[in-house]
Amino acid sequence: MSSSSQFKQLEKLGNGTYATVYKGLNKTTGVYVALKEVKLDSEEGTPSTAIREISLMKELKHDNIVRLYDVIHTENKLTLVFEYMDKDLKKYMDSRTTGNSPQGLELSLVKYFQWQLFEGISFCHENKILHRDLKPQNLLINNKGQLKLGDFGLARAFGIPVNTFSSEVVTLWYRAPDVLMGSRSYSTSIDMWSCGCILAEMLTGKPLFPGTNDEEQLKLIFDMMGTPTESTWPTVTTLPKYNSNFSIQVPKDLKKLLQPFTKEQLDDIVIDLLNGLLQLNPSMRLSAKQALHHPWFSEYYQQQPHQ
Amino acid sequence: MFATLKVQLSLSRPYLTRNELQQAYKNTIPDRRSYMQRKLVIFKFMSDICVQFQFPRKTLETAFYYYQRYYVFNKFETEMCHTVATTALLLSCKQVETFKKINELCIVSFRLRNINNINQDIIENFKKRIFQVELRLLEACCFDYRVNNRIHIDEYIVKFGKHLGFTYELCHLSWVISYDILKTDLLLILPQHTIALAILKVAFELLKLKDWPVNDYEKFKTNNDSINEAYFGVLNYYINAFDSCNLKDHTSSKFPPVSLEVFMQLKANSSPETGLKDFTMKETEEDKYLTTARDFTQRERRYVLSSKFVKEENAIINAKKRKLK
Repeated sequence: MSSSSQFKQLEKLGNGTYATVYKGLNKTTGVYVALKEVKLDSEEGTPSTAIREISLMKELKHDNIVRLYDVIHTENKLTLVFEYMDKDLKKYMDSRTTGNSPQGLELSLVKYFQWQLFEGISFCHENKILHRDLKPQNLLINNKGQLKLGDFGLARAFGIPVNTFSSEVVTLWYRAPDVLMGSRSYSTSIDMWSCGCILAEMLTGKPLFPGTNDEEQLKLIFDMMGTPTESTWPTVTTLPKYNSNFSIQVPKDLKKLLQPFTKEQLDDIVIDLLNGLLQLNPSMRLSAKQALHHPWFSEYYQQQPHQ
Repeated sequence: MFATLKVQLSLSRPYLTRNELQQAYKNTIPDRRSYMQRKLVIFKFMSDICVQFQFPRKTLETAFYYYQRYYVFNKFETEMCHTVATTALLLSCKQVETFKKINELCIVSFRLRNINNINQDIIENFKKRIFQVELRLLEACCFDYRVNNRIHIDEYIVKFGKHLGFTYELCHLSWVISYDILKTDLLLILPQHTIALAILKVAFELLKLKDWPVNDYEKFKTNNDSINEAYFGVLNYYINAFDSCNLKDHTSSKFPPVSLEVFMQLKANSSPETGLKDFTMKETEEDKYLTTARDFTQRERRYVLSSKFVKEENAIINAKKRKLK
């Protein structure tokens, strides 16, 4: 951007799927912003991800969702001007790694971040918007400890019909088993699975299911959560990529598996929440609203006068 | 020393009134008649592309909003129409997620215009023009996609129809009417759910049903004035363009007989004609948003999504000025 621009471009913050993000300064107001420079595709023009992000973020005004201020068109470049956040959750967790061993976050901080994540995603779902790409890199945090959902490039509005979504959504590690098995009729539950993976990652400091391909991803999930059957998940066998040769596993004790990697002693309440989010059967998974009312958060909702 | 910021700031105004549109067209459409004739040809062209690709109605609806919105802020030139139309469809496909490769769209766009002997160079040149128009189109909409994001006329005809307990025939008749109505300016004036409800009202009356069940339009997130604007917009379309409408060709036994007289009678029964409160032409003459041509030579053009941000920025600037004094 030239010196005559309203915004001064500062250091690069990162590369997204369709854009590069820089820190910026509004010269008039002195307020920092995030400038997302959209690459205009020489094959398909303005990326549909940018179009989706602009259209959905304009409607979402919430404390736990990053605000989109405006869109700037400069010659052959589009720049989206977002609220500035200091770092993303991934970088924050990485900064806490000592040596080669990842560290989980303190339970009180995990709880505060997870609560804000549910607040943000609950607002999206109430407004009939699926994020579809929740992962630590897309959760932005500032120095006040506020957490906000960002990167709505894959988000979409949902309604009726819901059976036409692409199965190519959500970064593999945070992808729900129903989506991995080819379901195209997913809804809000797709985001709730990701929330479960993120919660576990905050507790232990390492990704819960770090698969390298669809098959391995499903294997990692089933190894921990058990292999689904028609009795635990009716209609699972009708999913396009269901394989009757999946090795049969029983659900493991999450507390035992996660405890060695956490900073503090895990209690049964947080494990109950985790189990509610990581339900293989999407219809059994907790909704964002239900999650906000989970006993783990009782100290939060009991503070609110009207809850 | 202070540097001067050369920035053009535009606030999104996704809907405009009839007089506002008329004012804007003074800059962009020198010959209204030629524009209207061409609009019908282009509507048929875009409908044909949608049929070829089996796109849903919402793709056509969104594309035709874009096509019409383009000419509110850009000069109408006959030779550019098909490029604008193809671009509007490309953008619509991205918006409503009926994705299609631009190459495929270009090929069908050429074929439907009987342009044969196309080679890759021709397609590449066409694509370049499309990308230029796409950015102009996005600017004409101030990058505001709220209009076409989730609510589409046909979907709301079904939803409202179901909610009000209307018959399949009534909803089907409304669906046919809604195709005709895409050709009007209504899309630029009112949100789609309001148009859907007004169309249901027209269909209800065409079927000679008694006691229209909606009294409180607020429940449908609209109001009397908006519904009347859309309702009379529909009747006026059929009164002025009955010969070219598609409804008259639907001669199902379940449909009521329609004619110019029927629509004139409906209008007479509902008169006086009312609608949205409009600005006077004098007021619109003073509105730079409509009277000043967009300056595309301005290097940086900001599209602000909420007047709140502009006010906040202004407040900070004014506070700084006061400090300097």
